[in-house]
Amino acid sequence: MAKGFGTPQSIPTRDATKFMVAFAKCYFQSKGDQDTVREFLASNLTKLDESLLEALPMIFYKLLKNPIFNSKENISAFFIAFGSSIYIFPLGSRKLNLEISITACQVALRSLQRNQFPSEWAAGQTILANGYSDRIQGDRADNIEKAIAAYELALQVHTSDLFPTEWAEIQNNLGLTYSDRIRENRADNIEKAIAAHKLALQVYIRDVFPTEWASAQNGLGNAYLNRIRGDRADNIEKAIAAHELALQVYVHDISQEKWASAQNGLGNTYIDRIRGDRSENIEKAILAYQLALKVHTRDEFPTQWAGIQNNLALAYSDRTLGDRQENIEQTIKAYELSLQIYKSKSFPEHWARVQHNIANTYRDRVQGELTSNLDTAIEIYQQVEQVFTREALPYQWARNQGDWAEALIKQAALTDRNRSLDTAVDMLKGALEVAVPGSPDFIDSQYRLGTALSRRFEQNQDPQDLQQALKAYKTALDAISPEHYDRAKIWQALPTTQSVLGSRLVREGEWQEGLQLLLNSVRLLREGDDPLAHANALYQTARAHETLSDWDNSRLYYRDALRLYDHLKDESGIAKSRHGLGSVLVSQGYLAKGMGELQKALNLYQQIHRPDKVAEVESLLQTVQQAEQHMQKVAV
Amino acid sequence: MTTADDIFDQSQNNIQRLGLKEIPFTESPIDLESETLQRIFTGREAELRQVFNQFQSRERRRILVYGRIGIGKSAFLLEVLSVLRRKRPKMLTTYISLPANLDLATTALLAVAKEMDDDDWAQRYLYQLGIPTSKILKERSSEISASMGLGAKTSEKDLQPVTSQYPTVSLDILLERAQKKYPDGVVIAIDDLDKRNPSEVRQMMHDAQGMLKGDAWFMLTGHPMGITGDLLTSERGLFDLQLKLDELDQPTTYKMLINYLSSARIDNDCTDQGNPRCVLPFTPESAATFCRVSLGKPRLFNRLGNTVLSKAADLEVDLITPEILHEGLKAAAPTLRQQAALSVQEERVRALLMKRGEISDETITFEDLEALGVRSFSDILPLLERLEEADLAHQLDQEDVKAFAPIPLPSSEETEST
Repeated sequence: MAKGFGTPQSIPTRDATKFMVAFAKCYFQSKGDQDTVREFLASNLTKLDESLLEALPMIFYKLLKNPIFNSKENISAFFIAFGSSIYIFPLGSRKLNLEISITACQVALRSLQRNQFPSEWAAGQTILANGYSDRIQGDRADNIEKAIAAYELALQVHTSDLFPTEWAEIQNNLGLTYSDRIRENRADNIEKAIAAHKLALQVYIRDVFPTEWASAQNGLGNAYLNRIRGDRADNIEKAIAAHELALQVYVHDISQEKWASAQNGLGNTYIDRIRGDRSENIEKAILAYQLALKVHTRDEFPTQWAGIQNNLALAYSDRTLGDRQENIEQTIKAYELSLQIYKSKSFPEHWARVQHNIANTYRDRVQGELTSNLDTAIEIYQQVEQVFTREALPYQWARNQGDWAEALIKQAALTDRNRSLDTAVDMLKGALEVAVPGSPDFIDSQYRLGTALSRRFEQNQDPQDLQQALKAYKTALDAISPEHYDRAKIWQALPTTQSVLGSRLVREGEWQEGLQLLLNSVRLLREGDDPLAHANALYQTARAHETLSDWDNSRLYYRDALRLYDHLKDESGIAKSRHGLGSVLVSQGYLAKGMGELQKALNLYQQIHRPDKVAEVESLLQTVQQAEQHMQKVAV
Repeated sequence: MTTADDIFDQSQNNIQRLGLKEIPFTESPIDLESETLQRIFTGREAELRQVFNQFQSRERRRILVYGRIGIGKSAFLLEVLSVLRRKRPKMLTTYISLPANLDLATTALLAVAKEMDDDDWAQRYLYQLGIPTSKILKERSSEISASMGLGAKTSEKDLQPVTSQYPTVSLDILLERAQKKYPDGVVIAIDDLDKRNPSEVRQMMHDAQGMLKGDAWFMLTGHPMGITGDLLTSERGLFDLQLKLDELDQPTTYKMLINYLSSARIDNDCTDQGNPRCVLPFTPESAATFCRVSLGKPRLFNRLGNTVLSKAADLEVDLITPEILHEGLKAAAPTLRQQAALSVQEERVRALLMKRGEISDETITFEDLEALGVRSFSDILPLLERLEEADLAHQLDQEDVKAFAPIPLPSSEETEST
């Protein structure tokens, strides 16, 4: 295994040259048969090392003396073929293999004249681009830009009219690369990806190029899954349709690897699917991943295997069917398996992604000590941030920030740590500078920001926080697909915040605006699935009307709140509603009825151990009784 | 074969058989001639006294008349205005029903402008709003032809409509002009604020504070639910008098029936309560029942009266006995329902009301609400009010609960008892 890419003082090339000559023989004899080539490489795994990488430029010149090759152009073509074989080779160190592939192509292209051997030159650019596209070493954003640049160069030669199949292949690969692109506008990049796959599909007619057609469908599916523009629910359905089309061609017996890739892609879409029954979608995702794992085994396709394990873990963590504990066990197991391949040095980005997912699992874990779970989660997010930096991988950084912020929000709820909320708010604002407006991460961050701000308001009572929270919720609500299963959660948060802000405004004398917010919140919540939130809003509205001395409406809403709290058996709610109602009835002169309610409130406050409220009601009752006695005396 | 003319004649005969020139009951008091209103307006003595006391003041006053829908607020307003017209000829009285989408100041401006036929400015303003005026207004413009030296051309072109940006200021100016002709002042009566959304009304009142403190007498009608406690307080609020109109008591309703009928009877204008002729074509017994069923609510009274008389006419009787009354009232329920054109939800609430006999915010159960697909009484309150508006329900006079009951009409499915 590669230990690192240090520069040795002298470069021993004999072994490396021997290896390359042997490879050349194997390649030419088998006429480039991929299975034969793969076997050869597998049995020479130890030769794919740093010294080979370092030696490649020297080997090029050494091979000029070799009778197999007549010219440097031939050696260039051979190097490109070698680069291609290494690129798709699944064993050994992926990181190193990619470097070897890239270097081989670079060396080859130096000696290949574009105008004399345009097609070979273009092929070299394509393989180089493939390498950059997947490259692990170096700056990811840079690598992707280099890949795109190389593809564009290749396209100048491999045009659609002269080299349609090559052109289509490049378009397809370009599509995959645009999907990963970090620089420029994300939404635009995805649109370019979709466009590129569709261009490929103009050439890849299903009957004529079934495998390539399926590959483009797969790519299109991935792009639709990432798409930001358009309706999210629709996009995901298109993604599913595309993967399923690919699977019609990638029949298990014939093209196993690709079939497995398509299954993995399908699994990814089912996890995010908005339409249909959520638990069913998760089951379909799990099934798809398990099918993929039958082909992408650890021994034969370790990188892909590790990736699917990660995806499977995600599916299990969302799973609602089956035993909850067992699902959690499966989640942890799958992440651990993934991490056996995704080590931080050899696959830093993949490693970080899995760690991030593990952090989320700890964050959401309900077993064990909650504060300890959250502490663990936060520690991991911090480690992940070392890899997902804002400069290098901004979208992943933003997602990490958002998930980390949620952990902080939970922490604040458990420990009353104000600073956690302040940090969460800052982190989310930072994440929102990066997140693409309209994307799922953007929506999540807006919703979380709303939550963090409204929690902070509970402590500092700064109405600006509430105003901002409202704005954040509204933004999230506007962005989220109307069909999304999370919509309800955000949609409920909005009126709940409205009712808190509304009652606050009323108390401060902004009664018009406050009352309007309260009435809006009641109106929204009465159609929601959260009767408790509805009851709370009714109660707040009653209180607001009481503040305004509008006894009729106050009484009405207190009774409504009481009825609903009673139905929900919420003792605290019942008590405070009776308290309010009694107080209003007494203000209106219905002393007997009012005292009846107050007495019931008192009894209930005693039961639920609220001595502060008990004292309050007792005092009020005393006052009323005195007033009643006085009235009786006067009447006499 | 009966012709249409014959049918018309028959219809007229049937009403005349009852001793009436016409059916005196109307949906709205606006349709009435001032004289007729004067004849039929009944009761409300205490309320009238309170209002006329206000008009003895030198200071301009602001009066709010509120009460449930159909309680007679418009009639009250019109009666006050008609008295003022007779007693204060040098006072300009204006009446307007609040138009949709207009604020109070612009409405007031419209009301006054309409009554000032001779005032150019007022007429121009109406024209600009697209309201027909007696004169077509032209704008005079002049061009001087430079090449002609001293020559000049004058041409006229039609005014382009322009909305007033400062209605309160415009109103002040118009009032000033009006007061030159009407030294006793200007009364602006704006009706039907209760037809608008209560929160809109709150906002409108808030925005109209400047206007309401201006140089006119204001009388507004409103809905009790739409006015918060804040506005009802005279110290901090906007009104010098807030007058609540309640249901008329039985004796007053009976007197009102006498007045209505005598205004339409052909050869008998008896209004002596001791004389049974005063309620013809009703018998005293059926008259008393009729008054009881109409619950002292003038609009319900009018609607039921219409149906009862129409039914009696169809039956070609000359006397409305208790049995005929019963038939008439039976016919009223489906007529009211048809007129109401209830939505599905309103119908469900009506059905629950009929089943329970009474619904209140205190006694309604969660199960009842759930069956209606809601979770709170405040959700069905607008529906109950809509039923009240349609005279299919009425609010009970209980101050500590919000309670509704069906109008006590006989069911149309009742069969004759043997």
